[in-house]
Amino acid sequence: MHTHHSKLCITPPHMLQEIVRNGSATQRDLALRTLITSEQMRGQRRIMKSMSAFITTIAPAGTKDRAIYDAKNGSTLPGTLVRSEGDLVSSDLAVNEAYDGSGVTYDLYFDIYGRNSINNNGLKLESTVHYQKGYDNAFWDGKQMVYGDGDEDLPPAERLFNRFTIALDVIGHELTHGVTQYEANLAYWDQSGALNESLSDVFGSLVKQYQRKQSANQADWIIGEGLFTPNINGIGIRSMKAPGTAYDDPILGKDPQPGHMRDYVRTVEDNGGVHINSGIPNHAFYVTALELGGYAWEKAGRIWYKALTDKFQERSTFQHACDLTYETAGELYGANSLEQQAVKKGWDAVGITVGGDAPTGCLSTILGIFGIKATAEK
Amino acid sequence: MRIYFERSGGIMGLKSSLTLDLDELPPAQAGTLRLLLDESHFFTLKEDLSTRSVHDGFQYIVTVETETDTHTVHTSDTTAPDELRPLLQELHQIARSQRKPKV
Repeated sequence: MHTHHSKLCITPPHMLQEIVRNGSATQRDLALRTLITSEQMRGQRRIMKSMSAFITTIAPAGTKDRAIYDAKNGSTLPGTLVRSEGDLVSSDLAVNEAYDGSGVTYDLYFDIYGRNSINNNGLKLESTVHYQKGYDNAFWDGKQMVYGDGDEDLPPAERLFNRFTIALDVIGHELTHGVTQYEANLAYWDQSGALNESLSDVFGSLVKQYQRKQSANQADWIIGEGLFTPNINGIGIRSMKAPGTAYDDPILGKDPQPGHMRDYVRTVEDNGGVHINSGIPNHAFYVTALELGGYAWEKAGRIWYKALTDKFQERSTFQHACDLTYETAGELYGANSLEQQAVKKGWDAVGITVGGDAPTGCLSTILGIFGIKATAEK
Repeated sequence: MRIYFERSGGIMGLKSSLTLDLDELPPAQAGTLRLLLDESHFFTLKEDLSTRSVHDGFQYIVTVETETDTHTVHTSDTTAPDELRPLLQELHQIARSQRKPKV
């Protein structure tokens, strides 16, 4: 059963658009805010783009607007405002990490791809730190980023996780869920969900590489380095270079990510393994970036960004992602260009052929529940 | 009385679970759990309390079995009702304290 949380859904977007075009200044402001926050607007980028000419009330292009809140170990969001844009450095490390990390993420999107914040319209970047107690996670709730402190309330010998703001790529990962929500709005289950997860890892990793000024072959392509304490045998939560090798630990178990379609994991847990099968498109991006050399955000990142914002749709599969990034590379750099060939090699490396018919995982997931391995599914 | 607790999802997509038999717990801990169960009005909660898909959020399943009754609740970080949160937090703390190497 699904409940619509947004009361705003009762006003259809086309009516709001009329108000924006023909209403008074106040009505227009209200309608714009409604449109921007309404869940109905997610993914309706065609409308969003046609609206941009009317937007007057949001930050000018290139102006960061960050707000950091403190949940004080509770669950109420967003919590107490503790640092706004331009405020002095806080005495709280997590607050500063969330502030600086969302700033670097904003910079990558703006400097390289010309994107003005999550919605490309200067949306305020809101983050909450110190969420709950012993909360070993970070998430995007549809409106903001949220970070836990890991096991910082336990004695050092029992800690497995550090605070989640410690990893810049995790901040880039969460913020990118916002970007995806406003663009392709990839449904968060099965392959479209794994693709959604992969895009967050791709741009999270690029944020870290951009900050460190690392080329593709200098980067470690690890997601979440620093999240584990020394009590865990692992370097991070995922590896784009070698999916399945980020950790192997007596308590956490082994990194379950596949890096090839032959190892695709069929499961109903984790929304159909969105954090597991994301290893496949992650590795395709890595191979493409290595093939192209130089800074990964410049070419590989630009191809993936354009595919995310102009091509991917709500139920895009891995095969669609392959075909559409290939098509995008052709548009940006020319048919049969080195860039387009690199994209092809990237997907070839994970068992997906341009124009092919890789399994979508939907039927195989259902069969998998009954213990049947589907090998011929299309 | 038995409590089964499962947490899944999150940015790592890992699952952790816990089964508690209150009769076998230290009386103080069992007492705390009984109190939190009462305060959550557990047996009157709707079964499906996770209606919103949050990216990287955790999903929780709590099942409580008494001699006469069994009730299961599915919920998440952002949709759990306030009265249930202290119980989720306590179960998570116990699950964390019982983390052991897998054999």
